[in-house]
Amino acid sequence: MANKSSRRDFVKRSAALVAGAIVLPQIIPSSALGMGKKIPPSDRLVIGSIGTGSQGMSNMRDFLKLKDAVHFVAVCDVDALHLAKAKETIDLDYKNKDCRTYSDYREFLDKEKLDAVSIALPDHWHGIIYSAAVNKKLHVYGEKPICRTIKDGQTIVNAVKQNNIIWQTGSWQRSLFNFHRGAELAINGRAGKVKYIEVGLPDGNKGIGTPPVKPVPPELNWEMWLGPALKVPYRGISHWDWRWILDYSGGQLTDWAGHHIDIANWGAGLEHTGPVEISGKGVYPVEGIFNVPVEYDFLCRYSNGIEMRVANASRLPLGMGTTWHGDLGWIHVDRGDIITASDPKILNEVIGENEIHLYKSDNHWKNFVDCARSGKTTIAPVEVAYRAISVALLGEIAMTTGQTIKWDPDKEEIIGNPNASRLLARPYRQPWQLPTI
Amino acid sequence: MKKKYLPLIIAAGLITFFSACKTETGFKTLIITGQNNHNWKVSSPILKQILDQTGLFSSEIMITPDKGGDMKIFNPDFSKYKLVVIDYNGDSWSEKTNSAFVDYVKNGGGVVIYHAADNSFPAWKEYNEMTGLGGWGDRNQKDGPYIYYKNGQLVTDTSAGNGGSHGKRRAYLVKTRVADHPILRGLPVAWLHGTDELYSQLRGPAKNMQILATAFSDSTLGGGTMRDEPMLMTITYGKGRIFHTVMGHADEGGGPAMQCVGFITTLQRGAEWAVTGEVTQRVPWDFPSAAGVVLRPDFKEMTLEEAFTHIANYDIVKSTKSLSFIQAHLRSLAGDAAGIKKIEEMMVKVLKDKDATVESKKLLLRELSWMGSDYSVPTIKELVSNAELKDEAEFALTRLVSK
Repeated sequence: MANKSSRRDFVKRSAALVAGAIVLPQIIPSSALGMGKKIPPSDRLVIGSIGTGSQGMSNMRDFLKLKDAVHFVAVCDVDALHLAKAKETIDLDYKNKDCRTYSDYREFLDKEKLDAVSIALPDHWHGIIYSAAVNKKLHVYGEKPICRTIKDGQTIVNAVKQNNIIWQTGSWQRSLFNFHRGAELAINGRAGKVKYIEVGLPDGNKGIGTPPVKPVPPELNWEMWLGPALKVPYRGISHWDWRWILDYSGGQLTDWAGHHIDIANWGAGLEHTGPVEISGKGVYPVEGIFNVPVEYDFLCRYSNGIEMRVANASRLPLGMGTTWHGDLGWIHVDRGDIITASDPKILNEVIGENEIHLYKSDNHWKNFVDCARSGKTTIAPVEVAYRAISVALLGEIAMTTGQTIKWDPDKEEIIGNPNASRLLARPYRQPWQLPTI
Repeated sequence: MKKKYLPLIIAAGLITFFSACKTETGFKTLIITGQNNHNWKVSSPILKQILDQTGLFSSEIMITPDKGGDMKIFNPDFSKYKLVVIDYNGDSWSEKTNSAFVDYVKNGGGVVIYHAADNSFPAWKEYNEMTGLGGWGDRNQKDGPYIYYKNGQLVTDTSAGNGGSHGKRRAYLVKTRVADHPILRGLPVAWLHGTDELYSQLRGPAKNMQILATAFSDSTLGGGTMRDEPMLMTITYGKGRIFHTVMGHADEGGGPAMQCVGFITTLQRGAEWAVTGEVTQRVPWDFPSAAGVVLRPDFKEMTLEEAFTHIANYDIVKSTKSLSFIQAHLRSLAGDAAGIKKIEEMMVKVLKDKDATVESKKLLLRELSWMGSDYSVPTIKELVSNAELKDEAEFALTRLVSK
């Protein structure tokens, strides 16, 4: 413990040194991260998980693959069945019974002496729990979208800055070859100067209508699941289907913003700014508690003249994925190792020594662990994640109000529209509160 | 409406009648019916209502002689009309009537081909050129290719086989193929259509035809072709424009196929396009999406007043349609302060109403939180002391009073 504690302090000091210094994209050679070397137990990243549903478990399995680089000691969930499954998974991996369990994240954070935490929760909890973990000076692997509202996002970004911790967003497409390559080709002008970007995200899910009110199952703490969200009767939506309800999520749009919008920003140099004007339309279900847009289509204008259209895939010629259109052609990337271009020659282009080389990672979870140990910035830091989800959240506000929204990306304010400005934050149900920035 | 006209329709061999209460404005429209393997006595008055309620059309229903009757007496003066809607699948018309209809279309007359009307007149060459595609009536390879989409590609399939089929009736997803066509502009690109026959294997000359929307005919769901089959089409013939919808199978009262807002809206828009080549109608707030079928049992769009009456009775087991309407209305106002103020006043009225449900007030407090003004604040403050509404009232006040 003593060793771990001093190592943590060291890492935090190094994080403080590099914070703010890394602005330009750069390559960090894997040799510098100690790959291939046996890690002594005292240097293992002591980690726990909050949220052990499908995404939380998926992240946990990816961390467990890193073997002795991490040591999972505790898990936390409001669903006792999920919690038991998580403990079982870890104990099975470590061949012991040591993993501790918590149903309240506050107790988890207070009692456990961790280096890092992996968090995968419904979006309405992100503001509070991300901030709480960061304020405990833990390194965080946080699922996208990092926030439900702009205000939540600002709070989290500031907490990360103040505490000098290492943050990795679950925008794992960045650690895949095709997305990295496409973004690097785009930012180096291989399709010409990028003027217009199309981002295709999934079509809205089919409706869930109005599921009947049911008794809360004994394993679930529904009150705690709701937390800061307004109280509503239980309808069995606490796993997965919460994604289609505006109280907890913005639907496919906000779920996927941290992927294809994030990649779009990466390849267009928009990672540290936001649009100045946003307008568009959503198609909303007519019936039922499922109330996120089923279709969405909005246009963002940036101060440098770039336009970005974000829409559900069926509305776009190339469907899912990110397409950078330059004055010489286009480059398109999507899942399934897809990278295509208006001219196949673009894809064979070599990026010269003096050109922009984007940060390279080939394992998103390992990148987090390496950075938490070395103090270096990750491939998907918090500010960048905040800018990606901001695009979707501003699109949501434009669609909700039916208005063209003017946004100041430096002050991070909506200009001249008090009604729309109110949608930048979502009031929390008492006694829950965001920490003040 | 239907009951009032039915005896009239049945009594008359060939009559034309006018809507009694409506002044004659809008495009004069002729709905031809009288023979059909479908229930035309149900469908024709509904088609008339759907068209006339736009305010753009003034339609008359004309009934042909019965099957085997003397078609020489069916001799409409097409030149009086801007639009002819065919809800007919039966005996051939007289040569004279056929030729008058062809002249009408060639000279720029608009036509709507509705559902089984594309089954009619298999031997009338010009008519089949107007419908583009047809089915049944011994149609086969001699009548033209099958036209459909397969794996995203438009296919012209000249293989031998019968034209026209459909699987078991079901609700199905309609997908837009030409998003910027005036008829579909601004509509969702995918929407669920109420339970209907999904026509497949239509074939025909398909000249000057554009397929606007398709639906996947899924063999695993009660029979189908595993192709994306044409649902909405436009055809030009001479100077005339034809809108062809294969949807709208009439059950008693219209049924889900005709009550579907997707069917109603595309018919209204297609009819306008057939007359003018443009569409001026706004997209209705209740147009369906992939999330679910939306029906209008009375074919009418909800009004704001109706929405507020409904929402005041809202409970958690009831329909959320009225809330969706109010939200859509707010979006359509696009920040218009006077319009929003009017809605705010209506909302506050419900908040003050002792008979309005707690659940209705919860919904409205959420909306007021962003679009309300100082006007709402005193009323909302009073609700904070109501244990059932405290959280929602505080939610609204947090947004409304913080600067």
